[in-house]
Amino acid sequence: MQPALLTLFASGAAASAAALGVLPLVGRERVPQAWIGWSNALAGGMMFGTAFALGAVGGAPAWPAAAGAIVGILFIVWTHAVTGTEDLDLNRLDETGPEYGYRVALIQSLHAGSEGVAIGAAMAVGLPFGLFTATTMAVHNIPEVTVLAAVQRSRRMSLAECALLGVATNVPQVFVAVATYAVVSAAPPMLPWALGLATGMLANLVLVDLLPESYRQAGHTSIALVASAALTVVALLMGWIV
Amino acid sequence: MHRLLLVGFYGLLTALATGLGAVPFLFVKKISGRSVALANALAAGLMLGASFGLLAEGSRHGAVQTIVGSYAGLLFVLLAHRWIGHDDVSFGDVTGAGARRMLLIVLVMTVHSFSEGVAVGAAFGGGTELAFLITVAIAVHNIPEGLAISAVLRPEGTSVAGCAWWSIFSSLPQPLMAVPAYLLVETVQPALPYGIGFAAGAMVFMVFLELLPEAFEDAPRWMIGLLTSSSMTLMLLFQRIL
Repeated sequence: MQPALLTLFASGAAASAAALGVLPLVGRERVPQAWIGWSNALAGGMMFGTAFALGAVGGAPAWPAAAGAIVGILFIVWTHAVTGTEDLDLNRLDETGPEYGYRVALIQSLHAGSEGVAIGAAMAVGLPFGLFTATTMAVHNIPEVTVLAAVQRSRRMSLAECALLGVATNVPQVFVAVATYAVVSAAPPMLPWALGLATGMLANLVLVDLLPESYRQAGHTSIALVASAALTVVALLMGWIV
Repeated sequence: MHRLLLVGFYGLLTALATGLGAVPFLFVKKISGRSVALANALAAGLMLGASFGLLAEGSRHGAVQTIVGSYAGLLFVLLAHRWIGHDDVSFGDVTGAGARRMLLIVLVMTVHSFSEGVAVGAAFGGGTELAFLITVAIAVHNIPEGLAISAVLRPEGTSVAGCAWWSIFSSLPQPLMAVPAYLLVETVQPALPYGIGFAAGAMVFMVFLELLPEAFEDAPRWMIGLLTSSSMTLMLLFQRIL
């Protein structure tokens, strides 16, 4: 199969996996706050592990990857500032008006876009690495959508709608993945930049969006455990595949 | 023999770096919570970047063993925390110090220095360049630790020299643990990935358990995100250059 097509399928599968995130909500109106924290920590740990691995394969020379990472970090700082989401509490279960739901969905799309860069760039590094990155992102999307669905459920949205919304917020992942792949395969010198960009964006998103609130909701120790365990496994497996 | 001395010397360097944390108190009586938070954020990024170097090195000697080792390191830090009841102590908090608090903070720091010593020693098993990076990361991470210790001791009337001494004292397990850890991974070669994994797991867990949550309490998220992800990028870049 053509690698570009494969990128489309892999990122499409990753986006679709997001629907599974509603499963913890089957049969209950709301989940305990701590679950939301753990879901975020799990998603965050996996994202960080991926960021590590992408940073490690950046290719020689190292400076374009580092410059790309700085661009990615600054881009996230800028987007948060422009959309007024730099202090958005992603785990709120009460006082969830439409405006709040809109901002959560916005942040989710920003995450999905960054993950798309990760998948597209990883595909250009090599097929096993690309598929592993897509799989990691797919698994990572599940707890991410659990958080989104928990918020929407408290606004009486149906499970099916939550699942659909979860997939919809991850659609940017597909477009961005294919576009990234297309750009770096047309212009290979861009690859280190793209890898670095993904590294910086993913790492900064975890730090700014996922971790701070989850600490408050599930306690430092359990969050640290979930995040570190997820991070080490993902980073190791990815490092090993490369 | 020469190499063994070098291991001890690197361990000693990280311990001495802790004493630098007392230096700001030559000029000021109190230090703001935000400064400690930002110092912690910087250290968090360096530690994360360095532990990735460890994970990459470990996966070269055995990915599964490295994962097992990293979980052991995580567990060690967790048990050490439970044992000394760390939950009562807040590093950045400079008020309400008492004798128990002073003792506790020195004790806390001393206990968790053990795993940092193991990190330096095990890293030497992976080569001098790797060891150098880990040493730099841990040394920088030790400075805010010394700052935290001094911030508790200084308002209680301890002299600046005294603050520096207790800071260094808290890190003395580092040279003491580095040498046996190095001997272990050098003489029992199969122990190497376990040792490297242990160091990485302990470092990552410390970042998520202590450095980041404390940083988030006293500084805006975006600053922490920017500082931590940038210093992590810097560390990853250094590793690629070396």
